[in-house]
Amino acid sequence: MCQNPHQKEINPSHFEGSTEEKATANVVDHDFMNYTQGMKFFDPHMHMSSRTTDDYQALADAGVVALIEPAFWLGQPRTGLASFKDYFSSLVGWERFRSSQFGIKHYCTIGLNSREANNEALAEQVMEILPLFLQKEGVVGVGEIGFDDQTAAEEKYYRAQLEMAKEMNLPVQVHTPHRDKKKGTERSMAIALEHGIDPKMVIIDHNNEETVKSVLDQGFYAAFTIYPFTKMGNERMVEIVKEYGPTRIMVNSAADWGISDPLAIPKTAALMKIKGIDVEIIRQVTYQNALDAFAQSGQINESDFIHGLEIDQSQKFNGNTVLRGGQAPRINKNSMIIR
Amino acid sequence: MIYSTVILEEILRFANPTESVWIESKSKGNAKELALAFVMAPRFISKTQIINSLNVIDGWSWQDYTLDKLVRIYIICLISEKDGTDQLNLLFDTAEINEAVALHAALPALKNPDQFLLRATDAVRSNMGSVFESIAFENPYPSLYFSELAWNQMVLKCIFNDKAIHRIYGLENRANQALADTLSDFAHERWAAGRRVPSQVWRLVPKFMNENLHRDIKKLEQSDNPRDILAAQLVIKEIDQPGSTKEQWKELELPEPIYQA
Repeated sequence: MCQNPHQKEINPSHFEGSTEEKATANVVDHDFMNYTQGMKFFDPHMHMSSRTTDDYQALADAGVVALIEPAFWLGQPRTGLASFKDYFSSLVGWERFRSSQFGIKHYCTIGLNSREANNEALAEQVMEILPLFLQKEGVVGVGEIGFDDQTAAEEKYYRAQLEMAKEMNLPVQVHTPHRDKKKGTERSMAIALEHGIDPKMVIIDHNNEETVKSVLDQGFYAAFTIYPFTKMGNERMVEIVKEYGPTRIMVNSAADWGISDPLAIPKTAALMKIKGIDVEIIRQVTYQNALDAFAQSGQINESDFIHGLEIDQSQKFNGNTVLRGGQAPRINKNSMIIR
Repeated sequence: MIYSTVILEEILRFANPTESVWIESKSKGNAKELALAFVMAPRFISKTQIINSLNVIDGWSWQDYTLDKLVRIYIICLISEKDGTDQLNLLFDTAEINEAVALHAALPALKNPDQFLLRATDAVRSNMGSVFESIAFENPYPSLYFSELAWNQMVLKCIFNDKAIHRIYGLENRANQALADTLSDFAHERWAAGRRVPSQVWRLVPKFMNENLHRDIKKLEQSDNPRDILAAQLVIKEIDQPGSTKEQWKELELPEPIYQA
């Protein structure tokens, strides 16, 4: 979500792969899918409302079978409750349908994001409607919530939403700030513990080399966002998995309206494979751990998507012919003729 | 008729004891509590399939519903009986896909069904396949409450999306001249694009033949698609002996590929 045009340099990694590894990774840049054949991926953080159907097609082709769309801000502040309501409704309605057309199971987390928590008059109204949405089918947590500027209002609504999560026994997806990240992350965890929330119900997002150790040591899930320029690069991610192993670590793309990459997970999996990480470890950090963390909501049934969505006829997600064939109609993008 | 009583009987044929207790306890709530129970139902009620369904209103079938869907419909009836229109509107406004499907399926059983006409026509406008189907298929609401314009819009959208029109209840009774004429226009557009319309849609025209439609039927007779030829024969037979072709159209109700590969 960070869009600072002046901050293009990649943060220097504390970990470096070997020269040979780096060379291999550069050579295979264009056919990463050769390395991920047969793999299935679960991306626990994607803002698909901001993406095109082409992205859904590419995700399906690359083996992404399920994803979670956290509620976030839309790039500019909303001015009324109705916009929030319609946005939350679209996450459990239209976006879920759109995703199903490509055979990808769409879940979401619902919450009041930190930036808009600063408009307290509106935030109060949003808090009123949150419980209704949090109880809905396929809502797998409260999120993404946490700190942005680390203001008093942000803290107030972070705490209030932690209480909601606790009451409804839902996982929490915590956004950590771009600025003053380390302190913001520590503060987010301390507050969660203060509210008596089991750390394994909390997914601390957007980690980096500076934050990961403390997050894991305190028993939280640590999510890493592979996002060009501002968050993690996937070479650094490989080194983190080498260093810390797979336990409670998950990768996501946080693909949104910024310059982001919806294929960040499959690409990272390919890079891990090239760099010699065990396939089972790759599976855990790109699929299983996210599934385990959010399945604590009781709202994820792996059998709904592991063999493709069309199996679940009783749900009849979109009773039209598109899905019955198992695939949406394909367009040859290179053809000049459009039929 | 108090629909909730009949629906509850049907539910209890399929609910296990734990589910029955949950339903029983929730049914005593006020409209707001019922609305929350509606949202939470899938957490407590399984997706067991309803088979050998009862039929309480002509054209309204619960066959193949999941149990949680029927429980949701039961709860909607209870909210309606308690005059909880505000809660129903809130549920419509915030509906997740499966919730929207249950809400539209329940429309025929509401206390003041005509108050929800805009919800129903909005469902026809929906691009979510299952939401559209929840109002269009095995649901008597449109045939009872839709204007001719709204009815025709629904049938045409169904044809446009290559969905099976025979699942629309009241198709024959509500057939009309305007629909037959628009169907002809639509078929011409498809033909111009080198595409076709499903053969069974021609069942909508026998009572409304004019020069244009006669030309269309001639064209179908000369088609090299056997299903179109059969459709033309059935139209001609139906014009001769009204009511004689009902069973034969069933042959054309099977799914068929519309676009050439």
